[in-house]
Amino acid sequence: MKRLLLALALAAAGTASAKEILPFIENDYSTAIARAKAKNVPIFVEAWAPW
Amino acid sequence: MKAYVYTDASLERYAGRFVWLSINTEDAKNAAFLKQYPIPVLPTLLVLDAKRDTVALRYIGGATAPQLGKLLGEAEKTYRARAQSAADTLLARADRLATAGKQAEAAAAYDEAIAAAPKSWKSFGRASESLIFAYSMAGNNERCATRAIALYPRVKGTSSAPNVAATGLSCAASLDKKHEKRVEMLTALESATREVFANEKIVMSDDDRSGIYMALIEAADASGDDEAVVRLKQEWSSFLEDAAARAKTPEQRTVYDSHRVSAYLELDTPEKAIPMLEQSERDFPDDYNPPARLALAYKAMKEYDKALAASDRAMARVYGPRKIAVLSVRADIYTAKGDAKAAKETIAQAVEFAKSLPDGQRSEGRIAALEKRLASM
Repeated sequence: MKRLLLALALAAAGTASAKEILPFIENDYSTAIARAKAKNVPIFVEAWAPW
Repeated sequence: MKAYVYTDASLERYAGRFVWLSINTEDAKNAAFLKQYPIPVLPTLLVLDAKRDTVALRYIGGATAPQLGKLLGEAEKTYRARAQSAADTLLARADRLATAGKQAEAAAAYDEAIAAAPKSWKSFGRASESLIFAYSMAGNNERCATRAIALYPRVKGTSSAPNVAATGLSCAASLDKKHEKRVEMLTALESATREVFANEKIVMSDDDRSGIYMALIEAADASGDDEAVVRLKQEWSSFLEDAAARAKTPEQRTVYDSHRVSAYLELDTPEKAIPMLEQSERDFPDDYNPPARLALAYKAMKEYDKALAASDRAMARVYGPRKIAVLSVRADIYTAKGDAKAAKETIAQAVEFAKSLPDGQRSEGRIAALEKRLASM
């Protein structure tokens, strides 16, 4: 199982942001909540790590 | 996903329909978020309803652009729904439990959701994947493998098939050798996993494919088939090399570095990792990952001074909980070199750092493991 969980990190890995089509807010949960409430839309969260 | 998925034009139509939040779990700024939503596996994808303060969707692992589109569609329906079916309500409860880190309770709740599922339920695949992951993470390998065997025929040919089959196989491989159904379960799930692998119609992320190789290697190892273990490891490393060779940018290529290092170490050919990691370090001079991986590769090559030099460079750039892993490798290098005093000082440094992390990033289990190691030195 250890191996498989490691595999899942593959998509999380990466060093710099490429050209993104989706306007991500970086590491600011409070701003995301405020915007989501104002626009009445859900928040998509990707939790990742640079490794 | 940053390098491959979020750049896919097919997702543009969702841009204004969600607020997009990227949470780097290593960044101390996110400690409060991580306390509220513990993240045991990376990546974890969540869709949150800020008004009701609930989790609309939770998905573990990477997704391809079509998979992500499907997940977003499902999450939007849940978010907009005024009334939910019994299965949807149970699924939302299971997602909340999983998000709170209560894996055993979450697994039981996913089971209840699936039992209540209407025909052609939109969330069947995701619920099945989440169920298998939750049992696996709760350490209930028997239930994980049993449910994977039962659910596989219902997700066969879909994008949920890889996770259900391969995670189930990994659970079967972890069963006690004396378990009476171990061989039977391993055989059934290995066959399912190979079927998934051979099905070209299933769009699989490289995560899925790499995960399948790892599960097949685990299964071959559990079956004592040493020849198959070596062959699969070679196939796995070739697959990763081909994928890296197809990358269009340095960002895309480095995505495969960590797995390639693992594969080369497994094959006892760590020297193969050196050129690609040196290239990555040149391409991304601020990134701690290439030197941290070089330290591992040089240690395996018994070139301890080069390993320590690479570790120095990683230490100068690393931050967050990852620093503990860099320090642990550094202590291993000192130990291999025969410098017990420096190894002990390095682990003491790791304990101190682990204790200094804020709630949400601080792990009592990790601190206990480091203290145990320190006491044994």
